[in-house]
Amino acid sequence: MIRDSFSLLFFIIAMAILPQLTQSQEVSFQRDIRPLLAKNCFACHGPDQEAREADLRLDLRKGAVSQEGRSAAIVAGNPDESELVIRLREKDPDVKMPPPETGHALSAEQIALIELWIRSGAEYSEHWSQIPPELSKLPEVSNPAWPKNPIDHFVMAQWDRRNMSGSTPADRETLIRRLSLDLTGLPPTPEAVDRFVDDPSPNAYETLVDRLLESDRFGEHWARMWLDLARYSDTKGYEKDNPREIWRYRDWVIQAFNQDLPFDQFTIEQIAGDLLEDPTSDQQLATAFHRNTMTNDEGGTDNEEFRVLAVKDRVDTTLQVWMGLTMGCAKCHTHKYDPIQHREYYEFYALFNQTADMDRSDDEPRAATPTRSQQKELLTLENSIQSLETAYRQETDVLKVAREAWIQELAKSSVWNKLVPQTMETHSETQLEARPDHSILAKGVAADKETYIVTYDDLPEGEFDALRLEALTDPSIQGGGPGRNDRDPNFVLSEIQIDVYTGENREGVRIPIQSAQADFSQSDWPVKNAFDGDQKTGWAISPKKGQPHVAVFRFGVPFQPKKDQRLKITLIQNYGNRLVLGRFRISLAKGTEQVLTPDPQDLGDLARLPENQRTVEQREQLAEAFRRQWPATADQLSQLEGLREKKDRLVKSIPRTPVMKELGSSQNRETRIHLRGNFLQPGEVVQPGILGAFHDFPDGAPMNRLGVAQWLVAAENPLTARVAVNRIWAQLFGRGLVETEEDFGVQGTLPSHPELLDWLAVRYQGEMGWSTKSLCKTIVMSSTYQQSSKTTPRQQQVDPENRWWTRAPRFRLPAETIRDQALQVAGLLSRKIGGPSVMPPQPEGIWQTTYSTLKWKTSEGQDRHRRALYTYWRRTSPYPSMLTFDAGSREVCVIRRIRTNTPLQALVTLNDPVYIEAAAGLAKQMIGNDNAKHNGLDYGFRRVLARTPNEREMSRLEDLLNTSIQDFKNHPEQATALLKAGKVDASTIEDPARLAALMLVSNVLLNLDETLTRN
Amino acid sequence: MLSKIEHLATSTRRYFLGHAGLGVGGMALASLMQQPSLARQDSGSQDSVTGRLKDPKAKSVIYLHMAGSPSQIDLFENKPALAKYHGEACPQEYLEGKRFAFIKGVPKMLGPLFDYQKRGESGQWISELLPHFSKVVDKTCVIRSVNTDQFNHSPAQLLLHTGQPRLGYPSMGSWVTYGLGSENKNLPGFVVLVSGGKTPSAGKSLWGSGFLPTVYQGVQCRTEGDPVLYLSNPEGITRKTRRHTLDAINDLNRERFHQVGDVETLTRISQYELAYRMQTAVPEVMDLAKENQETLELYGAMPGFQSAAEKADDPRPLYKGDDPTFANNCLLARRLVEQGVRFVQLYDWGWDHHGSSPGESCDETLPIKCRQIDRAISGLLVDLERRGLLDSTLVVWGGEFGRTPMMQNNVRSDLRKGFIGRDHHPHAYTMWMAGGGIQPGLAYGQTDEIGYYIAENPVNVRDLQATILHQIGLDPHRFSFPFQGLDNRLIGPTDEGRVLHDILA
Repeated sequence: MIRDSFSLLFFIIAMAILPQLTQSQEVSFQRDIRPLLAKNCFACHGPDQEAREADLRLDLRKGAVSQEGRSAAIVAGNPDESELVIRLREKDPDVKMPPPETGHALSAEQIALIELWIRSGAEYSEHWSQIPPELSKLPEVSNPAWPKNPIDHFVMAQWDRRNMSGSTPADRETLIRRLSLDLTGLPPTPEAVDRFVDDPSPNAYETLVDRLLESDRFGEHWARMWLDLARYSDTKGYEKDNPREIWRYRDWVIQAFNQDLPFDQFTIEQIAGDLLEDPTSDQQLATAFHRNTMTNDEGGTDNEEFRVLAVKDRVDTTLQVWMGLTMGCAKCHTHKYDPIQHREYYEFYALFNQTADMDRSDDEPRAATPTRSQQKELLTLENSIQSLETAYRQETDVLKVAREAWIQELAKSSVWNKLVPQTMETHSETQLEARPDHSILAKGVAADKETYIVTYDDLPEGEFDALRLEALTDPSIQGGGPGRNDRDPNFVLSEIQIDVYTGENREGVRIPIQSAQADFSQSDWPVKNAFDGDQKTGWAISPKKGQPHVAVFRFGVPFQPKKDQRLKITLIQNYGNRLVLGRFRISLAKGTEQVLTPDPQDLGDLARLPENQRTVEQREQLAEAFRRQWPATADQLSQLEGLREKKDRLVKSIPRTPVMKELGSSQNRETRIHLRGNFLQPGEVVQPGILGAFHDFPDGAPMNRLGVAQWLVAAENPLTARVAVNRIWAQLFGRGLVETEEDFGVQGTLPSHPELLDWLAVRYQGEMGWSTKSLCKTIVMSSTYQQSSKTTPRQQQVDPENRWWTRAPRFRLPAETIRDQALQVAGLLSRKIGGPSVMPPQPEGIWQTTYSTLKWKTSEGQDRHRRALYTYWRRTSPYPSMLTFDAGSREVCVIRRIRTNTPLQALVTLNDPVYIEAAAGLAKQMIGNDNAKHNGLDYGFRRVLARTPNEREMSRLEDLLNTSIQDFKNHPEQATALLKAGKVDASTIEDPARLAALMLVSNVLLNLDETLTRN
Repeated sequence: MLSKIEHLATSTRRYFLGHAGLGVGGMALASLMQQPSLARQDSGSQDSVTGRLKDPKAKSVIYLHMAGSPSQIDLFENKPALAKYHGEACPQEYLEGKRFAFIKGVPKMLGPLFDYQKRGESGQWISELLPHFSKVVDKTCVIRSVNTDQFNHSPAQLLLHTGQPRLGYPSMGSWVTYGLGSENKNLPGFVVLVSGGKTPSAGKSLWGSGFLPTVYQGVQCRTEGDPVLYLSNPEGITRKTRRHTLDAINDLNRERFHQVGDVETLTRISQYELAYRMQTAVPEVMDLAKENQETLELYGAMPGFQSAAEKADDPRPLYKGDDPTFANNCLLARRLVEQGVRFVQLYDWGWDHHGSSPGESCDETLPIKCRQIDRAISGLLVDLERRGLLDSTLVVWGGEFGRTPMMQNNVRSDLRKGFIGRDHHPHAYTMWMAGGGIQPGLAYGQTDEIGYYIAENPVNVRDLQATILHQIGLDPHRFSFPFQGLDNRLIGPTDEGRVLHDILA
């Protein structure tokens, strides 16, 4: 049915306003009538029940012809009796439709069109975009030699109908520049141009296409387009507009395009990669697509309000990007034009309403998203660690003998004497309690800062070298101990003091500590801090929390307790935040060096046990202690620790990217309709669901985001493939086959070549397997694409807007490409792919944003000259020259940038220091390729435009060069100044006047209309 | 049938070419192309724009936005009853069901902190902080019943200036220049001037063009460096050298046009010529030294002044009453309007007086900020009037919301000097308008006895938007642009916004 109405369409020149209508001409409901009704009538007589007047709806035939309670709006075959026509013709403003105050009115021709349609039966048809695309037969064309592939059949068939003709093929110089800019966003080098122009092979063009599709630059260029849709930005938006680390997502997009990830998979991973079975870190990373929504860090905001806004943005973006549906209306009421009800919007919203993110300033949930090289390095490290660990635990005969001897020796060594606490005090409400194992447990409320004082009577006899402090865990300590802060069970021992006293006077003599060792110390918190006399420093054990630790403090002079002597131990813990010990124990020891190593497991005691009485764990304890100090294994251990540390550092450096994470069914949010779109006015509860006017949910698909993704790429989806191919077409031709790339609904424009659009869509999801590179190749291999862009006067007359592709389109390059091109021809462009966003030079004072400390810190080295898509994108203050060339601020999804042509753009390419630096680079390239004939001008021209200048062009440039050389010779200070502006040190230049003059020529070349335009 | 977007491609060109008749590009086209269809395409006015009104009262708008929002209680609202409750706990009825940005628990009522007198023939209460404004109050219409539905800065500023409390929508100045174009073909039609050391909370989005073409975004004219980004030639390129290069560019472009025949090339030539003219026109209009001493004093302006606050990371401690940055911007606004610039938007940062430090308090910072603007705003009105520009220039003054009649109960601020502040108050606040067909000497709208709720003639920010559009010649209900399936309007999707006919002259 749809195809019929479209073929009818071509009998009429669409641009004309149908000056004379005759019975012989056919009216198309799709093309002629629905747009009229939609624009003028549907707001009050359309799908929206709330807004419907007189209980009449004109969007369905059933409603229009109904006679229930009134005369029929449409009487098929009889316009004069149709109330619709009567009201349209009416003069009385009170009766006339549409009511004059609405500002809508139909012209006489338009009314005549409606009459004609009613006379011929008033047939309705479903909107074209709701009917799945089908392959139609390739049309016959007048010149069968011209088409290179089916695209050309469809295009030429339109020309034949309109008595139009196409253009000659473009020359090879034009083609290589066009292809290079379209596919990679960069111009070809003169060498590449020569190679292509001189290539005698009949497949030269295809070879070039393949080479460009395989270039890494392809992914960078096409990512740029996708990032507009993904509203990718390096900041979070709103008042503070704080930074967000999400560049790994940008790199994922680049990689996806370079690897030609099929569009269905590309879709599924971005919408619901986290819900795939056992998702890879890259699949989780892909879901950052929907974490590019803004969050508001402004003080005093309602997080729920901005969470809701983010979820709505995800719904709108999803439907717009994949299906070309606009959701602006349906948030507040039923869509006035397209078949989307208010309720359905929130049913769809319910599917997206179940993620854990909630406008948090830390952007959680985030996931570790290692880069390729990080993944590789991590794997290598893990393998090395594993093999080294195996070697470390290897039981060799030599080791066994050595270990037995060591255990014997250990058994002989001295014993840790656990001291029995006598009195225990604290500086707070906390109570200390002695345990049977002589450890001391803190109970009651934990103080922020704390000092424990414990005294010991009945000291053991002998001479002691050291005191041991064990920081122990205990099931009663919340958070796992040994510290008492349940969120951070670290502790900080600011100072330990050991005093000897007699009698009741506890003012004794301090025993000096000479050195100390601990089994583990937090970096910057070594155990020696615990006796440096400075209470601001201390010993701490993060991140090894949840396990016991031990420190051994060695005395300067051995301590030999006398009979009546007592010991007082003071543990000062002044860090604050409840980082205080939960359980600890004090012991004394004498003997050899070896015994003084930390020994939380009392190895001496274990060694003294007969072997057959040791448990498996105890044997392993001894074995491990042995390995730690036996030279061969100790060496392996230190290597191991080095590797583990390296791994820790690597893991810490892995970017953590905001991702989508489902709450889990037990925490699912209830979704209600928001009355008038206001989340503070909840209406009735709705269940998750998809839009009823479209195909069913795929069989077995889960009712969540993954199901949505599968529904989007299902074969029955009438829109996804069409929208996708139209977008690619628009990138390559400057305008889509459906001009309103963002709206495939009733209000959008009709496709200019419906059969072509459908052919591409069916092939894309079918034979091409959703391969975007195949699609690009198919399009650029067509004769249509390879035409010249020259406009003949006749074409200007019959196809002024090039709607029928009678020539190749010319359009201004995107903002990013203009900058990349300038740096490339100057020989400055860095080829580095990916990584954190960079800050190339921008004028001072651009970033002056409220309450944020984020600074523009100009990048150094090659990061000054990276491709533009790596430029730090701040939503409230985007890079100014990009904005001037129509890039958006990436606050919301932008499907199509509107190209403008303004004097502010001229100022950028004339004066922006980036372009002056590029001019200097290009000037140097010309000097480096100076041939006698044209002073390098020819080479410079070809670097920029990929073609040889004609004589007039060359003489104009030579003219400028010669005048300028003379001018700069007369004013050498101007030459020096210009070179300086181009970051060239004039003192190193042989002929500054000439280089400066070449810079002017370069400035001219970089500003030519042809340079800024894709031809 | 040309689609809206195709219309835009031509209308954006006209915007810079001036919409009256044939611009430079148009003439070039006509002479070079001899194509009737093209001439028709490029010569008409912006016929894709619906909702233009005939004989508008105002030609230009100067919008003075006090970012952060000044306290109406301390400037325009003399409330003896509130003074009586001063220091008492706020009644529950004012707290229940309300969302506050920072107030927690039960705050204390806070009476006006400054003295009031009746001023002008209209006999309006104006506080002692605005002595100069007091003398010109009869030129203005003070509206004491403005309300909004946003209570955080960024969303409230966005709602006021773009019609939506979120990013991504065109600002008022973009709407107006999209609808009406520019009167001056050498200057942008929408100029933004910023003072107070920071851009406002919502950032440059406040003058962004949203879904309208970027050509309609506000051009921020800066007082330091290039007034318009990249306006000056690089060092070593004189005006004469620039002319040489432009001649070469134009010649080569013309050569290309003859080969390829794309009219866009001709537009490019004309835009490069306009850029060249802007290089002199913009510095000229931005040069305050061209004004005489009497005029400078009228505003309190000082040409060439560079405020330390403009460069500081945190300008708040640097606020001084004699800082002339805002005054300079007011004088620039007049010079721009005089040259036919359509919409001049001033943002002055530093009015968010919560009382959390002496740099942001009602008792200490507000008087300083008032000294910075008081003479300038009165000077602007006097100057516009004596030059015959006030009738055709609509001047609007105000913040994004008001401040509470209660004290913000900060931890350390028990009426301590330098720590007295008020929280955000969306329910009622004061703005004023002058010129551009607004009735002078009118006091419109009232609040209740403590200034909490509106008692009479409520004016929503949507009504303000509708009134501003109406005065400049655009029908606020019909003037729209299609985006995401909606005919988007500045006043939003519903028809709540209405033109305030009561305050029109």
